[in-house]
Amino acid sequence: MRYTEFTSYDLILLAQGLGVSVGLFLATSAIGLALGTLWAVARFYRVPVLSQALTLLAELLKNSPVLVQLFLVFFGLPAFARINVTPVEAALITLSLNTAAFVFVIAVSGIEAVGRDQIEAARVFGLTRWQVLRRVVGPQAVAFGIGPLIALLVNQLQVTSLISVIGITDLTKVGNILNLRTLKPFVVWSVVGLLYYGAAKLVAHLGARLETRLRAYNSWRGL
Amino acid sequence: MLTVENVRKVFGAATVLGGVDLAIRPGEVVSVLGTSGSGKSTLIRCINGLERLDGGRITVDGFDVSKPKELAEARKRSGTVFQLFNLYPHMTAVENVMLAPVEVLKRPRLEAEAKAREILASVGLAPRADAYPAQLSGGQRQRVGLARALAMEPRYLLLDEVTSALDPEMTAEVLAILAELAKTGTTMLFVTHEIEFARRISDRIVFLDAGRLLVDLPAAEFFSPAGGLANPRIAQFLSKMHRD
Repeated sequence: MRYTEFTSYDLILLAQGLGVSVGLFLATSAIGLALGTLWAVARFYRVPVLSQALTLLAELLKNSPVLVQLFLVFFGLPAFARINVTPVEAALITLSLNTAAFVFVIAVSGIEAVGRDQIEAARVFGLTRWQVLRRVVGPQAVAFGIGPLIALLVNQLQVTSLISVIGITDLTKVGNILNLRTLKPFVVWSVVGLLYYGAAKLVAHLGARLETRLRAYNSWRGL
Repeated sequence: MLTVENVRKVFGAATVLGGVDLAIRPGEVVSVLGTSGSGKSTLIRCINGLERLDGGRITVDGFDVSKPKELAEARKRSGTVFQLFNLYPHMTAVENVMLAPVEVLKRPRLEAEAKAREILASVGLAPRADAYPAQLSGGQRQRVGLARALAMEPRYLLLDEVTSALDPEMTAEVLAILAELAKTGTTMLFVTHEIEFARRISDRIVFLDAGRLLVDLPAAEFFSPAGGLANPRIAQFLSKMHRD
């Protein structure tokens, strides 16, 4: 095999890789957010058995490597349950569940940070449990949780790089291909790293703006 | 009519309410006096359904607070003002006041907001209606708490040591509004340590001691030597409070 120089087509390749990474990140973040929030709501309602089961599931997902979870889904599911999963399906399942577990933990501590006294006040004025969650607990839990949530999402964006191992042509995989072809690892991985950095910065920036808006109500605290 | 019949409440080994009877007719102002730990706040928390009864029965206009289906109706008829305000910190004063009317009474938002502003104005908070609780003083917060209860147009106002967390000046702000409400015929159950004020606005005064109701007397009689003062426990309590 002959080593070759960079071509302008490599830029398109990098853009495609970035698109796959960001696309998977957005999809798994959306599913993870919805799922994790749903789990936290189930716990708020103290649904018996389900609450405990979800806490256990979140514990397992939180405390084991994402790469191991990815292998379990990609290689384990076909072997154990005779379900064939494509690499993209395996990535979607694994990253969504992993994000959901962390969102669950953040949402639960956000809910618990809301004072009991306010919940009692709302109940006394006749609000149902759902109304209390939606109008009193929810907005404050989101304000408490938004900081940790943004940190989580920035991290989950980096974690998507693991899916290159099961053959998805994401940004890291594209980097790998370019590196093997050009044998210029310093240039290739610098560019790939900067692209991840840019995407992560964008997530953090949007998150910070949202956080300022959500926490406007207690910006006066301490004055 | 708000009736409390032989109500018992136990926390572990401690009997906080040991068989309390009380009846409040519409239009009456009844003050509950007693030392800290005598069960005054627990009595309020039993009436608004925050504590489960361990015995006896409480009804608000006939609705039994122990029955989940009737509790909702009972709660619509009574409004609680809390010692530590318990406002929703993420909402402005006017949003705090209009939340329950919109969610529970299903009032249209615009109508509820106009009403909320009107009530806030009546407690002297018109210029602060769009402030968050963190931007308000203690006295202002408690006036929001009062406005929030009044917005539900309760037949019975339950006041749980509403001035205990306030300094004398702020206490005066809040008491002035309560005196006004008492004059307009609002029914109130007033748990307090403000003895002089209770004497001025109350129709009746009841005295709780270690979870038991010692006396239930018209206000004037409560302070007379032949009435409440004839009870050594009450005489001791009043002399201590006056010395402070």
